[in-house]
Amino acid sequence: MGDQRTSRATVADNTSRSRRRRRTFFLLISPWLVGFVLLTVFPLAFGLWISLTNYDGLNLSHVGFVGLRNYANALQDANVQHSLGRTVVWTLLNLPTWLVLSLLLAVIANQKVKGIGLFRTLFYLPSIVPAVGLAWTWKIILEKNYGLLNAILSYIKSGTAIGWLADQAMYGVTTMAVWSGLGAGMIIFLAGLQSIPDELIDAAKVDGANKFQVFRHVVLPMLTPVIFFQLVLGLVSAFQQLQIPWVATTTGAILVPPRSVYLYMIGVYQQIFGGARFGYGMAILWLLILVIFLLTFLVFRTQKAWVYAEADGQQ
Amino acid sequence: MTITTSNGAAKSILANQRTDFRSLQIYGLLVLTAAILLVPIGWLVITSLKQNTEYLTYPIKFLPAVPRWDNYAQVFAPAYRFLPHAWMTLFLATMFSTLTVMSSSLCGYAFARYQDVKANSRLFTFVVAMIIIPSIVTIIPSFMIFAKLHLTGKYWPWFFWGLAGSPYHIFLFRQFFLTFPKELEDAAEVDGCTPFGTFWRIFLPNAKAALATSFILNFLWVWGDWITPRIYLLNSNTTLGVLVNTIFTNPQGQLLTTLTITGIVIYTLPIVVIFFIGQRYILKGVVTSGLAGR
Repeated sequence: MGDQRTSRATVADNTSRSRRRRRTFFLLISPWLVGFVLLTVFPLAFGLWISLTNYDGLNLSHVGFVGLRNYANALQDANVQHSLGRTVVWTLLNLPTWLVLSLLLAVIANQKVKGIGLFRTLFYLPSIVPAVGLAWTWKIILEKNYGLLNAILSYIKSGTAIGWLADQAMYGVTTMAVWSGLGAGMIIFLAGLQSIPDELIDAAKVDGANKFQVFRHVVLPMLTPVIFFQLVLGLVSAFQQLQIPWVATTTGAILVPPRSVYLYMIGVYQQIFGGARFGYGMAILWLLILVIFLLTFLVFRTQKAWVYAEADGQQ
Repeated sequence: MTITTSNGAAKSILANQRTDFRSLQIYGLLVLTAAILLVPIGWLVITSLKQNTEYLTYPIKFLPAVPRWDNYAQVFAPAYRFLPHAWMTLFLATMFSTLTVMSSSLCGYAFARYQDVKANSRLFTFVVAMIIIPSIVTIIPSFMIFAKLHLTGKYWPWFFWGLAGSPYHIFLFRQFFLTFPKELEDAAEVDGCTPFGTFWRIFLPNAKAALATSFILNFLWVWGDWITPRIYLLNSNTTLGVLVNTIFTNPQGQLLTTLTITGIVIYTLPIVVIFFIGQRYILKGVVTSGLAGR
């Protein structure tokens, strides 16, 4: 009898305790939750609504609902097609180069010698240079007439004057973006490399594998989860790149990046802040969000085929 | 006997020479890699000591005839408003970082220590998803809303963004607070600590490493950001990064490249100093972000 009463009391106690903990949990995360709703979900939803109107920044009191017309126009827009194409080229050029060079740098930085910490610091240094600093560091190297690169190339072929930040800007800007990302990539791959147990590598060596075979058949498969995540993050951010090409190629009288690096987000920015075509700008922004979702989904679909998962499923 | 000994010694000398040669090769590779990566920074510093006319000679001169240290004094000329904007940026970055660290640590604590609450894991999925989706897609529509509320051209957006915390830093704090033993909470509860008291008096004082990491990363983000202040702020109160990009012109309005480069060096220098002091924390944060998906 008494026993039953205590257990009933405990149950009641437990439910009130879990209810209390639930309330506390929501109270503690409320800054993020409120911020998430007001500063992320609401702007995106607002943008979606604007994209269905002809809003131009002034006529909010009498905006006209135009349905999917902005989207239909966007699909026909040569400018949108051009910038999407440039973004695809940008991604295909940047992402593999960055992944391969970061991994290479991580392998170099993974040597077990005295003073390696100093070298890692030096390797990371380019990554801490902020965007504007990055742009100017490379402007004086890639400038057509006064830049260091063309001056050095002139020794091989005199009078070299390649517009690394004009008609060839895709290559120039890619170089600086990769240079800037190498440090972070290296650190992440280094953590991945160091998490591979030494026994595994030793066992492969005992079995007679040479260095290349160890890398190809032991190290690389173990790194695929890290590579996969870097690929997803890199893809999403490459499709939204705006800052680096913009700051790198505009200066003085040149207010808009050249056509060769006219990336998708630059087009969005121009529609909204250059032309005040808010409705249309939001429509092409939402198209980009859809493209990014689709690509991320597709990359996740390939995960099973090449990403190594530990047998016990513990990661 | 003597023969074998000397033979062995010879062998070990040979082996030593081989390891010496091998480590020499490794150092050679390391030095070469560092040199290639740091050439642009070296060129930046050299150019910061040139006269503008020296930069504008063709074919180019690699070194300045006389290093022009005066550039470094010139940058601080009142007309360029370098120092006032440096202070504004310092204020903005400190304000934003402090708020973000406070709210992110609180939320990270809740996600780490209230795992018995059902909604926890589902909500945390949203946090992780928001790490993957960077802010640029929300910055433009947010601008239209902030503009309607007359909050653009001011530092208020950073205040609200800071209050809301950042998904990545919530993730960082959650991972950190997960490692704390359960007994710590139980003891605090027995002693009559409120949930917030437990966080404030027990967990936070033991999270100095995570606090430092988060603060430094947030600070560096604001200091280095270009697009957000460019969109949201005015020429009169924008951050140093936006200012140095265009401010150094001659009276005719033409950009002075070498003075701009000097400005860039001074603008970047605090970040280099912070990096050398807080390296351990910064790299830890980078690794956490890279492995967020695991």
